[in-house]
Amino acid sequence: MGEAGTADTFKANAKAALADRVLKVAIDRTTGTAETKRAAAVADFAEFDGARERSRRLKDHVIANLEHYLLQFESNARANGARVHWASTAEQACEIVVGICRDARARSVTRSKSMLGEEIGLPHALAEAGIERVETDLAEHIIQLAGERPSHIIWPAMHRTREQIAALFKAKHREPPRNDDPGAMVESARRELRDKFLGADVGIAGANFLVADTGATCTVTNEGNAELTATPPRVFIVTAGIEKLVPSTAHAMELLRVLVRSATGGELTQYTTFHCGPKRPGDADGPDEMHIVLVDNGRTRMLTNGLREMLRCIRCGACMNHCVVYRQIGGHAYGSVYPGPMGAVLTPVFEGLDKSRDLVHACTMNGRCAEVCPVMIPLPTLLRGWRDRSWREGLEPASVRSGIGVWRFLATRPRLYRLATRFGLPAMRLFSRRGWIRSMPLAGGWTEYRDMPAPPARSFMDQYRARRPNA
Amino acid sequence: MSDARAQILGAVRTALGPPREAAAIAAEAAALLETPELIRPRLPNRSLTDVFAERISAPKIGATVERVPRLADFPRAVDRYLRENGLPQAAALQPAPELLELDWAGIELHKGMAADQAAGIGIARWGVAETGSLVFHSGPDTPVLFNFLPLHSVIAIDVRQIVAHLEDYAAAAAGPPPRNANIITGASGTTDIEGSYVRGAHGPGFLHVVIIGDTPI
Repeated sequence: MGEAGTADTFKANAKAALADRVLKVAIDRTTGTAETKRAAAVADFAEFDGARERSRRLKDHVIANLEHYLLQFESNARANGARVHWASTAEQACEIVVGICRDARARSVTRSKSMLGEEIGLPHALAEAGIERVETDLAEHIIQLAGERPSHIIWPAMHRTREQIAALFKAKHREPPRNDDPGAMVESARRELRDKFLGADVGIAGANFLVADTGATCTVTNEGNAELTATPPRVFIVTAGIEKLVPSTAHAMELLRVLVRSATGGELTQYTTFHCGPKRPGDADGPDEMHIVLVDNGRTRMLTNGLREMLRCIRCGACMNHCVVYRQIGGHAYGSVYPGPMGAVLTPVFEGLDKSRDLVHACTMNGRCAEVCPVMIPLPTLLRGWRDRSWREGLEPASVRSGIGVWRFLATRPRLYRLATRFGLPAMRLFSRRGWIRSMPLAGGWTEYRDMPAPPARSFMDQYRARRPNA
Repeated sequence: MSDARAQILGAVRTALGPPREAAAIAAEAAALLETPELIRPRLPNRSLTDVFAERISAPKIGATVERVPRLADFPRAVDRYLRENGLPQAAALQPAPELLELDWAGIELHKGMAADQAAGIGIARWGVAETGSLVFHSGPDTPVLFNFLPLHSVIAIDVRQIVAHLEDYAAAAAGPPPRNANIITGASGTTDIEGSYVRGAHGPGFLHVVIIGDTPI
């Protein structure tokens, strides 16, 4: 398995991932289940298309009125007694969170899985500050023990098989599981994390939604770890991207219907919680302080650079579960926090296109991601936009530029093009055996991994001309 | 970090222009809640209580459910549940006045909730038929941790508090929001190991719902 590379070594990462047979088993087990469950949930919900269309409009409405909703949320969250912080960059966001932890003299921090936390590098920042970080989501707990990064936004440990996780728990848990049955392993993690939940000084979570008219943050989990992270510690911190706003609780409900079905095939997560400020007078439990850190980190740039539609994303993971590329290589090969189709669109925003141009090419344009996206993000179109930009900014390597230049020269000269195919087709057929080409000069990129069907002897245009009635 | 605040709001303003009038935005937001029947599942043509009970015990949610006529019958339902599951006759009781005044003879009650509490007893404020969810609002007599620490959670819900859809809960709960609104749908679970579903991740592994009252016609 090893440590994943970065986005700029994508080709090497992908090659290593393709050679890893255990990885392929692990990916198939989870994405296969996810695809089946989502399909069943959607089949049970005749109004799904209507709900998707509404969700798309809802997210577009929020983004179009972002200033209004940001200010409304801030004022209501403050009225609830929460402190609202703003961070333009990942570094600022981490500084704020670490600062709050230091003010609270925190030794131990529990964390409920948040992709934004990963995006801003919070685990690393806490480690640098010498603060013990306890990941409480089961998958995050697994990868924390393994010293790895998440490979999926819903199932961060999906690259590991049951057998591998059992071995890990046996080595690291105080009272390890008896066998590699998932039930025994979940029990073992429950035992291991129990006192950590109750002993933490600070709890940190993300937000699935920020509700403007109440100032609440909303978390959805199936394990109950968000509430166990938010409630016992003295200080509760939420980090959230500024695009997470919804006008009201009822609007959040609309999005929940499509989010949960698209992510896990459930109708609603087991625990959907709205957090509204710190403990109130008389409350039986709850944190003394609540902090909300609103993070930009490239999002305002996306308003103007052709990626506004990507701000609709509600982080369900359906696009990666249905991506033929992701399902071959898994999440680590992308070398970035967000993998799969949505990750290939987002990573250039965070890391720059020069370091991630291979990601925007790792797509067959089959369109399945856009078909399943609950907020109808045109992911292939956005990826094409990045490809176009990579070309215009001169980031494509010389071999690609000259290859496409030759093709353009021919394609814009129809007579020449037909002449070339007339000679080219028989030449290709010289390399074929029983209808398939196993290898051919200049086609190694294709034939190294699969055979190419032999072309017919005559081109489409020649056949068409021969069959035309009045030819 | 007020600099960051000005920077972010400034970038939004530059990209989108000044915000429109609040009334126009509110009207657009309200329109996004119209015709809810087009964007949510239609419920089977049965009483809300029946739909709620079916949902809760469906395999996807996997909780157990029973119905008793009056709240006064709740302690006996709890007693039975503890016996049938081989649990000690002891539980942590949510300090809600309507629960405290019931006759709990035969069950040792704990005020606090221990980290390894076997059973917790509580009462939900609303039920949602669409999703088979229970809703709790945190407060002096509703500690949040009561719903997350015990291994077995036994919860009463009054039939009159069962609403059809998630939006109906949002409407019923309108007004100043509680610190925590917990919408709970079944026991705690995870699919983090190879996508296979296991209950009892961190929260309760078992949820038993006792519906109180007759089904309205």
